[in-house]
Amino acid sequence: MGRKAQKNDSLPGSLDMLILRTLSLRDLHGYGIVQFIQQSSDNELLVEEGSLYPALQRLELNGWIDGVWGVTANNRRARIYKITAAGRKQLALETRQYAKLTLAIARVMGAE
Amino acid sequence: MTEVFRRLKYWTESAKRSEALREEMELHVAEKAAELEADGMTAALAQAEARRRFGNVALKQEESREIWMTRFLSELGQDVRYGGRTMIANKAFSALAVLSLALGIGANTAIFSLMESILLRSLPVADPESLVVLNWHSRPPQNASKQWEHVVHGIQGMFWPGDKGSLITGIFPYGAFETLRQENRVFSTLFGYFSGRTRNLAIRGQATSASAEYVTGEYFRGLAVSPAAGRLIDTEDDRPGAAPVAVISFATSQNRFGGPSNAIGQPVLVDNVPFTVIGVTPPEFFGVDPTVAPDLYLPLHTNLLIDGAGAARMYDDKNFYWIEIMGRLRPGVTMAQAQAVLAPRFHQWVETTAKTDGERAKLPALMLNPGAEGLGSLRRQYSKPLYVLLAMVGLILAIACANIANLLLARAAARRREMAVRLSLGAGRFRVVRQLLTESVMLASLGGAFGVFFAIWGVRTLTFLFSRGQENFTLHAELNWKVLGVTAALSVVCGLLFGLAPAIQSTRPDVMPALKNSRGSGPRRRAQHVLVVSQIAMSFLLLVAAGLFVQTLSKLHSVQLGYARENILLFTLNALQAGHRDPEITTFYADLRRRFEAIPGVSSASLSHSSIINAGFAGAAIRGTMKIGAVTVEGARVMAAGPRFFTTMQVPILAGREIDDRDQPGSTPVAVISERLVRTYFGNENPVGRRITFPEENRDLEIVGVSANLRYGGLKNGDASSMTVFAAVSQLSPSRITYALRTAGDPLMYVKSVQEIVRQADSRIPVTNVVTQAGEIDRTISREITFSKLCTGFAVLALLMACVGLYGTMSYNVARQVGEIGIRMALGAQRGAVVWMVLRRVLLLAVVGLAISVPAALIASRFVKSFLFNTQPNDPGTLALAGVVLLSAAILAGYAPARRASRIDPLAALRQE
Repeated sequence: MGRKAQKNDSLPGSLDMLILRTLSLRDLHGYGIVQFIQQSSDNELLVEEGSLYPALQRLELNGWIDGVWGVTANNRRARIYKITAAGRKQLALETRQYAKLTLAIARVMGAE
Repeated sequence: MTEVFRRLKYWTESAKRSEALREEMELHVAEKAAELEADGMTAALAQAEARRRFGNVALKQEESREIWMTRFLSELGQDVRYGGRTMIANKAFSALAVLSLALGIGANTAIFSLMESILLRSLPVADPESLVVLNWHSRPPQNASKQWEHVVHGIQGMFWPGDKGSLITGIFPYGAFETLRQENRVFSTLFGYFSGRTRNLAIRGQATSASAEYVTGEYFRGLAVSPAAGRLIDTEDDRPGAAPVAVISFATSQNRFGGPSNAIGQPVLVDNVPFTVIGVTPPEFFGVDPTVAPDLYLPLHTNLLIDGAGAARMYDDKNFYWIEIMGRLRPGVTMAQAQAVLAPRFHQWVETTAKTDGERAKLPALMLNPGAEGLGSLRRQYSKPLYVLLAMVGLILAIACANIANLLLARAAARRREMAVRLSLGAGRFRVVRQLLTESVMLASLGGAFGVFFAIWGVRTLTFLFSRGQENFTLHAELNWKVLGVTAALSVVCGLLFGLAPAIQSTRPDVMPALKNSRGSGPRRRAQHVLVVSQIAMSFLLLVAAGLFVQTLSKLHSVQLGYARENILLFTLNALQAGHRDPEITTFYADLRRRFEAIPGVSSASLSHSSIINAGFAGAAIRGTMKIGAVTVEGARVMAAGPRFFTTMQVPILAGREIDDRDQPGSTPVAVISERLVRTYFGNENPVGRRITFPEENRDLEIVGVSANLRYGGLKNGDASSMTVFAAVSQLSPSRITYALRTAGDPLMYVKSVQEIVRQADSRIPVTNVVTQAGEIDRTISREITFSKLCTGFAVLALLMACVGLYGTMSYNVARQVGEIGIRMALGAQRGAVVWMVLRRVLLLAVVGLAISVPAALIASRFVKSFLFNTQPNDPGTLALAGVVLLSAAILAGYAPARRASRIDPLAALRQE
């Protein structure tokens, strides 16, 4: 962990999308989500723990994810989150918007 | 909608969720630490580092929780703060609103809690829903020639009137009970009981009167009551010849033994028959009738010991109705199923008891009723009055709500600019309405909170008014959670009710005119007028009701009694229950009378078999037909009276002499008869020296005097100048005796001396029913007294509120019309004309209100017809008086604004415009 990883605040709201994406691949507990995002972004994206749990609460309140008690790989009790049907719909929506947005940014940047 | 649901779920699971969140975060830190440790850190360092990176757990938790609380709560908080500020800014308005609501809600809560305790509460036993009461009904018992022809030949208990003279009751012959008890397919237990009335209960030589209940051996098992101490009556105890045992109430055990456990095994005397106390009922248990609450429970068959051989007849006579029956249904059996099984069984049995075709034609038919609420003689007695009272307090609350709606409407005008600004700045209309509603609900909740205090006071007053005159009134209304819940709901509903119209009004989207500071518009004024008119209409209804009840009371008070009402002390002794027997009992009573008469301050003392006012209920002193010569006397009543009865009661003797000490058991039986009896049966002849005979009782009374007419029995249904035969009490072997003492000053001052004398004579005899004659008379009209007092209070309250509403509306109107009035005055209008202009509108509103409510009053007053005495429900005098009072009050309320209008300075008014 030598160099400073990028925090995910460059695109506000993208944390929700990242969590939904992660959970769309597999059910995970909070720490697992952080790990997954970090690893699959090659340590480029570092999820701040402080914003993770409010985000999870928010997603659950919106009915996009569902938390149930389960057991981790280390055999500890943990809340395992899974994505709901509404969550998948939301993920598709956010993915489309994100694609549009990055494309637009890329265009602007390319027009330099 | 689902979102609201999710949030609600969150609140309900709030604590659990908080805990989950904490655990989740702890796990996160632990995993992080494990990872760091795997990278080569020491365990302690890894822990610290993981915690450092995570940050403040509590704060994170807080932040996560807030996600759920969101806008709704924060906005509610905003609204409440804002509402609080508005309320504080308008102190006078808020105080007035809260006060009138508190009165309205308090009155409703008080009446409701009384209703709850009388009409809605369940018996305090296990699973009251599975209890059923057995009743029967039959067609009117009289045959074509008005003679009683029915399987019921005798009763001990009560009938209550059904439709068109039909019979409804809950008493059965013992044979029916035994037959039905065998139907154990539907009942797990069937048990019986009947009132043992008042008994003399002597404990360690100290006698008091106690209300007793005879119960069958299954009674306590059926009700599923467990004892507070000892054991309760069982099947083994309820057999002829079983050892006489008694169960006492919790209160009795405390008052007489100093606690339940001290009472067990103690010997007591019930009407001089020795019993052993075996158990104490739990404190909350009051038997099956909330109004009775026995002190003493005795096995059914012990009435053979107490009531003597005559009681044995009750068990064998299939036409004598006395035992009341309740049953506990087996699990899964419905009341309808039980009825389907029992009714044919009862029919079959009762058919065998019919002796003639006439009796067979109208056999009693069994019906089951829910037993959960108990028997509720109080319920039958008070349910209608309570509904009437509830309607009245409902009206008061409606008036209060209308008042506040009115004030809010007026205030909405003042806040119109504020609302317009908020709307034009982009506030959602719903949001603004919600904020206004929050304000009004806050007002209402405050009103409700203060209302609870009024209610506490009200419940006490009402219980006092209702219990008036009943020695052992067991009804204890209280503010329980159910009642408070209703109060809270009522407050919120009121808040929404009076808040909604003004809120919608003031947020009408026509923002522009409001911003341009135009004066109020048509619809609001109309709304205000509608409210005032409805208030006036409602107050009129209450005024009429008050008028009718007050008139009823004054009619009752002006009833001619024919005997003295003031300065007489009454009390009852029962020497028979203490073991005195004929002929000694007669001299015992006579001797006591002389001792009472010797008390300083007592000018005369007498005795009779009952007080005059209750004579109708106490039964005649001599039964059977009476004859004068060969002529049968119809409709005369017999009263047993002692020496100096007429002097004490101040009934003039018109001829001959009154009953006195000369009339002894051995001497010639004598009678004094009333003037009307003389007029009817002797014409102008002098009856003194003639005889009245009672062939069935084998008695022959010599008439020794003629008294003036007096009213026999109660005020409402008593006979105005009845034909009365007074027989000498000493010649009739009396059991219970009511003494009357004519006293100087307050009769109740002499109670101590009386008790002392009785204690010296025989300490086993308790002095009961101590009351003044005036109190005894008022007791018979307590409902009328209660109603007229309450109604007058309600009417004054309603009138006051309506006047406040009227005053507010007119003041507001005048304030709004300042410009117009200014112009009129500038053009030369006189002050009188201006006053008249305002008052005319007041009168118009009042007259419209009256026009609506007079027909309503005519219809509604018919419902209270049964509460009135010598007063027609549509009594024109009362209606006119109520109208006059209302109009005067309206003019009074309107005069202040009118005067203010006439004082307007035209110059100032025009400048302001």
